[in-house]
Amino acid sequence: MIPYLSLDFPFKIPINTDYIDTVVRNFSIKYDLFFNSIRSFLNSFVNIIHFILNRTPWFVLVLAVFILGWRLGGKISKGILYAFLLFLIGTIGLWGLMNETLSIVIASVIISLVLGFPLGILISSSDKADTIIRPILDTMQTMPVFVYLIPALLFFGLGKPPAVIATTIYAIVPMIRLTNHGIRQIDKEVVEASISFGSTKLQSLIKVQIPQALPTIMTGVNQTIMMAMAMVVTTSMIGATGLGMEVLIAVNRIEIGRGLVSGTAVVIIAIILDRVTQGLAQRSEVNHNAEQ
Amino acid sequence: MKDIKKITGTVIIVLLVITIFAGCSPKSKKEITFANAGWDSNMFHNAVAGLIVKEIYGYDWREIPGTTPVTHEGLLKGEIDVHMEIWTDNIPTYMADIKEDKLKELGINFDDNYQGFYVPRYVIEGDESRGIEASAPDLKYVWDLKKYAEVFPDYEDPDMGRVYGAIPGWEVDTIMHNKYLHYGLDENFVYFRPGSDPALSAAITDAYERGEPIVAYYWEPTWLIGKYDFVLLEDEPFDENTYLEGKTTLPTVKVAVGVSNDFAESAPKGLLEFLSKYKTSSALTSEALAHMQDENANYEETAKWFLKTNDNLIDEWLTPDEAQIIRDFLK
Repeated sequence: MIPYLSLDFPFKIPINTDYIDTVVRNFSIKYDLFFNSIRSFLNSFVNIIHFILNRTPWFVLVLAVFILGWRLGGKISKGILYAFLLFLIGTIGLWGLMNETLSIVIASVIISLVLGFPLGILISSSDKADTIIRPILDTMQTMPVFVYLIPALLFFGLGKPPAVIATTIYAIVPMIRLTNHGIRQIDKEVVEASISFGSTKLQSLIKVQIPQALPTIMTGVNQTIMMAMAMVVTTSMIGATGLGMEVLIAVNRIEIGRGLVSGTAVVIIAIILDRVTQGLAQRSEVNHNAEQ
Repeated sequence: MKDIKKITGTVIIVLLVITIFAGCSPKSKKEITFANAGWDSNMFHNAVAGLIVKEIYGYDWREIPGTTPVTHEGLLKGEIDVHMEIWTDNIPTYMADIKEDKLKELGINFDDNYQGFYVPRYVIEGDESRGIEASAPDLKYVWDLKKYAEVFPDYEDPDMGRVYGAIPGWEVDTIMHNKYLHYGLDENFVYFRPGSDPALSAAITDAYERGEPIVAYYWEPTWLIGKYDFVLLEDEPFDENTYLEGKTTLPTVKVAVGVSNDFAESAPKGLLEFLSKYKTSSALTSEALAHMQDENANYEETAKWFLKTNDNLIDEWLTPDEAQIIRDFLK
């Protein structure tokens, strides 16, 4: 008997999950107005981006990708390749869906950068903030998405606003981490030198520390975009339309071909965004080295 | 001192090893895997069948969770032995798979279920106790929705109404979308695909708890329809030739009990016999699910309660000897 007993815990704490349900629900009803205003803000934000993307003629976007790929990649062949891949998305009839997906991704990335950058600076300058925020970041990255996706539904309804929120929760983390990391890794002497030459803390931050940390920060931007792209299919499960929904439908019907086509479109967009932002990151590194 | 440490260490390790091995006492390898396609009635029927199979044939049972297509594939591959609730209309390839003998359909679990567009009763009749006024008093048929777009606003596009469709990829989603087009709802409604069942049920329960109007596709038997007071919007009478185009009421879906080919060959005859006789109804299932929700019971407890309450089913499903075993167990 003893070996069997040793496998069981001596007692169990009953957790009343129903109570948590009720609290969350009541909370969402009580602060309805607050959540509604966030919802309509996010909704119009996504809609504006979508509107702009939809009004942009396809060749402008293809041309922009060509130029960016060329200038940032250093070779004209890269520009041609990326432009061709983007062109391909249009020719297989997924341009409209791509715009829908991109508008959610872009909105989430902008919010991630706007919130993540100052937060990263904050925790780089304060160890206390760092110890508090670090476990929160770990939670945001590892908590299974559906656990907070369903509460997000109660607060923000189904559709694009909760999709933006879920994506931001996931994608903001590298922005914060790498901004923090980039600023912390700067030599102490450099910062001290700038202070001793009479610059204030703020001046030192803006003119010395941030430029020094820029390559790392740009890597953070790149990672944020990649993470946002990774959430495209997941957010379709709460009603976000676009390429993710197309993949979801295909998967639910075991239509392998259809899934592969739309999945490939997601990959193409991710590759282009990745190469362009990586190019920007390297560029900031090159400039930075040249200045030195 | 060192020796003592060594000895203690060895003793601890030996104890641990004994404990672990004792935990893995030889088990019978007889095990049945049930498909768990993700909704509660499926898990409930697994528990009922599992109980009987365990008590009579000594099989252990476990569930393999997945979505409708994933569990179906598992059944075709033989990784899943038994699927207690195959919603045949939701699997586009089902009829072909049966024809090509890729799985065995043993019987019909129930086929008296409803599905379609539901609205909470308070939308039509109001609810004095909650202080809700009827916002669409003349809503009875699906086509009446057209008059009430502003009652069900779509916040992404405030000029339009929102009707929640079915889960993308389900066969019925196509039919519901056709219905939406057929009745011209596309003029002032957005057909919103909720993405997944949890998302859809969360949207519905949330609206209900707030007392807000909502119109959404849903189906029975589910705890949601059992727990809340919903009204199914009526439609033209069912017509086999045009329902796919969304012109009529949906037929009741045949919810079948199926097994994999491997299992059909290897399982005892009596067990297969039992599974092919396994038949409940939508009403019985909803009742059990509502009981479970009210009592906060788990599936096993609900299964026992269900068999005790519906004693006649035991005789219908099992031979007299087998029935006696189950009755003794339930005592």
